[in-house]
Amino acid sequence: MSNRTLPRLLQSPAVFLLLIWMLVPLSMTLYFSFIRYVLNSLRKPEWTTPALSNWRGFGNYEFVLKSKDFLFAIQNSLLIVCSILFLTVILGVLIAVLINKSFPGQGIVRVLLISPFFVMPAVNAVLWINMILDPVLGLQGIAVGGINDMVDGLRAAPGIGWFFSLWPELTPISFRATQTSAYAVIIMVTWQWTPFAVLIFMTSLQSEDQQQKEAAILDGASTWSQFRFLTLPHLGRPIAIVVMIQAIFHLSLYAEIEIVSRGNGNKNLPYLIGEFANNNIGAASATGIFAVILANIVAIFLLRMVGKTLME
Amino acid sequence: MGRIVLEHVTKSFGNTQVIPPLDLTIEDGEFAVFVGPSGCGKSTLLRLIAGLEDTTSGKVVIDDQDMTEISPSKRGLAMVFQSYALYPHMTVRKNIAFPMRMAGMSEEEQNKRIETAAASLNLTDYLDRKPGQLSGGQRQRVAIGRAIVRDPSAFLFDEPLSNLDAALRVGMRLEITEMHERMQTTMIYVTHDQVEAMTMANKIVVLQAGVIEQVGSPLELYHKPRNKFVAGFIGSPKMNLIEGAEAKKHNAETIGIRPEHVVVSNTDGLWKGTVGVAEHLGSDTFVHVHGIEGCDPMTVRAAGDATFKHGEDIYLTPDETQIHKFDAAGLRIE
Repeated sequence: MSNRTLPRLLQSPAVFLLLIWMLVPLSMTLYFSFIRYVLNSLRKPEWTTPALSNWRGFGNYEFVLKSKDFLFAIQNSLLIVCSILFLTVILGVLIAVLINKSFPGQGIVRVLLISPFFVMPAVNAVLWINMILDPVLGLQGIAVGGINDMVDGLRAAPGIGWFFSLWPELTPISFRATQTSAYAVIIMVTWQWTPFAVLIFMTSLQSEDQQQKEAAILDGASTWSQFRFLTLPHLGRPIAIVVMIQAIFHLSLYAEIEIVSRGNGNKNLPYLIGEFANNNIGAASATGIFAVILANIVAIFLLRMVGKTLME
Repeated sequence: MGRIVLEHVTKSFGNTQVIPPLDLTIEDGEFAVFVGPSGCGKSTLLRLIAGLEDTTSGKVVIDDQDMTEISPSKRGLAMVFQSYALYPHMTVRKNIAFPMRMAGMSEEEQNKRIETAAASLNLTDYLDRKPGQLSGGQRQRVAIGRAIVRDPSAFLFDEPLSNLDAALRVGMRLEITEMHERMQTTMIYVTHDQVEAMTMANKIVVLQAGVIEQVGSPLELYHKPRNKFVAGFIGSPKMNLIEGAEAKKHNAETIGIRPEHVVVSNTDGLWKGTVGVAEHLGSDTFVHVHGIEGCDPMTVRAAGDATFKHGEDIYLTPDETQIHKFDAAGLRIE
């Protein structure tokens, strides 16, 4: 037995540290979620210090569940995460297959493709919302204005003018609006994370067995069949990994949402926590516990899926 | 049917010509083995026939039809690869079914063919496993099964046994030979192992640097090698090639004598040498003899129970009727 004691003793500081690292914030959140705790209150100054005498039971949870933004934030979290996953995986596979062939300038193209991943999220959001998606000054505004001007010019042209006068005037979309701000976030995060997917898929494609492909060619498989029956199954594992890593990251998106619309029409759970935390720490903590539960549900699904592909 | 004819076929990669103009005919039902040292172009030649590489010039004719520009899948050939090239995420059954599925064959017919192939290859118990759960020999049999179900006009084997251990290799060699006897389909088999070539082939094609050195039956090649290269390549252990004064006595630049055609004695003989290493195989003993002029060491075969000690004197007498003579260009003199 003694030969095991020493290793365990030596491990214990690390294990102990990790436990504290994890357990202390979690138990503090749990504690705060069951008491009344606000940062600033003139009416009830005793609520501004956390104490057991301010016990509220499940009151904070009830408050959060009943608040109008809660369900919306969960739905929106899922919408954003799922759309980004869907788009990055599809774009990632397509681009990876495309640039896996050798062509002149391959190295430069690959570096350029990877580069969005190195942009900071806040910078990414500012660039997109101001320089690309802005309905007046952004590329979008300029492009829409250009098309409108051109159509306008053609209306006066003899012979074909009648055709263009049937065209409606295009109006640029405002991506800071309530209905569209979630799509702006999806677009910019997809742009940033597609390179990550491309990178992972590309390395995987390079390890694909060429003799298998030749065997498939002789077996009469078309290019599509080769992709469908050989390449896609081969990419199963990297796709699972990309989905898992991205799901974890995108459940906690914050900077993009803040910069695009300050939560107008577009909230997720972390953003809701941020809003509550302006004053009501108790409600923010309760939302935090909901976020932990949601993350765990997603994680169970993901681990099942990834576990299945990794077992094969 | 499966008569394969290569007409003036050449292949270049960039500026390097790996196969100079080459003509070859493989008759229907033949078991042809391409053999040569690594890098001699034998695999490239097989890939040209399969259509996995394009010919630089010349024609590939299969059953009197020019197939040079036809896509690999339409040539009616099946290929078995060295690395098996099984589809790792499919079960054995799906692997074997793949070519039929691609051809759009009915489920019923597919199952019938799979059962027949599995039964003849001893794979029936493994149909629902994945390739990763099979041994090397079983994987190779799955690859052969996948080739059989297509009912091809010819089978192409690209060093199929190189990844197997020695014992399994002998077993699979027999199985493939028997399969050929049973099916009587044309087979082209690429190997660097002359034992495989000798034991399996009706027709051996010896290649060196993309050039055919000799085509013939195993025994033709053994008894009448056309040049020094073939003489040295076919037969195990290698033929002893002797140069210098001894060869001049036979009016040749080089003479060759196989280890099994030399009589070994402790007391007297034509040539005198000293024993180097003696390899005891049980049935035979191969003795490496040093000190023979023009050929050092010379390998000879002695009886299995012969006891030669390192450094002993040894006397050798070649069988005069079995001496091969070669001229300055390395070609055989009759």
